[in-house]
Amino acid sequence: MDNPIQLNNWQLWTALISACIGTYFCRSVGVILSGRVDQNSEFFYWLTCVTYAMVAAMTVRMIVLPVGLLSTVPLIARLAVCAVTVAIMVSGTKRRLGPALLVGISCLVSYVYYFGG
Amino acid sequence: MTTESVTHAYTSQKEAFWGGVHEAIGAPAIVLFAGMVGFGAMGRTNGLDLWYTGFCSTFMFALPGQIVLLDMIITHSPLIAIAIAVSLSSARFVTMTLTLFPQFSDKDKSRGSFGAVHLLAMTAWAVSMREFPKMKPEHRRSYFVGLGLFCWMLALPGTALGYLLAGMVSKSITVGLIFINPLFFVLTFTEIKNSWSKLAVFLGAILGPIFYALDPDSSLLLSGLVGGTAAYWIDKVYIRKPQPIDQS
Repeated sequence: MDNPIQLNNWQLWTALISACIGTYFCRSVGVILSGRVDQNSEFFYWLTCVTYAMVAAMTVRMIVLPVGLLSTVPLIARLAVCAVTVAIMVSGTKRRLGPALLVGISCLVSYVYYFGG
Repeated sequence: MTTESVTHAYTSQKEAFWGGVHEAIGAPAIVLFAGMVGFGAMGRTNGLDLWYTGFCSTFMFALPGQIVLLDMIITHSPLIAIAIAVSLSSARFVTMTLTLFPQFSDKDKSRGSFGAVHLLAMTAWAVSMREFPKMKPEHRRSYFVGLGLFCWMLALPGTALGYLLAGMVSKSITVGLIFINPLFFVLTFTEIKNSWSKLAVFLGAILGPIFYALDPDSSLLLSGLVGGTAAYWIDKVYIRKPQPIDQS
């Protein structure tokens, strides 16, 4: 397996440490602002939207344009697994996250096992 | 908060703590553990070492942010873009903390909250929001710490397991482990209730690949800012406030 990482060790750890600080900063800002800021303010609507859009963009990129091992599985198989999983998820009113995830992953594993990806 | 009766009648902080632990054992722990196993497998297959991958899970403890970090490392993004994108992806913690921590009793609000807040994750937040109204305010923080601490303690073993498994098991299982996180996010999108977040997910999903084709480095940030702002605006103007507005 070729190594896709081009950053050097120093850069990698700098990225990680700043990511940890950034993440903790967001958590602590919440504590500082608790009770002082209206959680129904327009700013928080906007922040929620930006967050969801970014996570969605990332998710689609991971599924549609993956880097590494996952890219050896055909796109149609990846999309089919997502479709099956979502279908199970929305097929009932009760929470089905666990079963849906299990079935979806099993489908993908079986596909790669039989067709080699 | 007062409409619901107190059904979790804990008699002490200790009891509330163990109540939280008990709640964690089950769906919250399974989802978190599976996600961390998936992250460990992603770290291994993308060439990171176990220390780095484990450090991520323990000290970031925010799967979307961890995956943004990993994703941007392997797509060779500049350091500053990584730092900004990861911090933005954790911006949801601001809103999560703001909705959860004011429910603690007054004396718990300041003391130790800066430690407890690290234990906050999507699953612990959702469970706490559901269970808090059923207990007295003075027991809520202990309950939350029990719940969050148990989940947090699973992060490192889960990551390590995924990392080691990805190197030992067949290709088919490794692919399955890597796919846990994207699939988990897709599933959580189906549970979103409010219109603005649904719209943001939809626009982000469309813009993501387009911006990626234009410039991989800035694609996550741009998709978030452009898609999110557009979703916010469309929702504000056309959906959330359907009153007549100036249409020039």
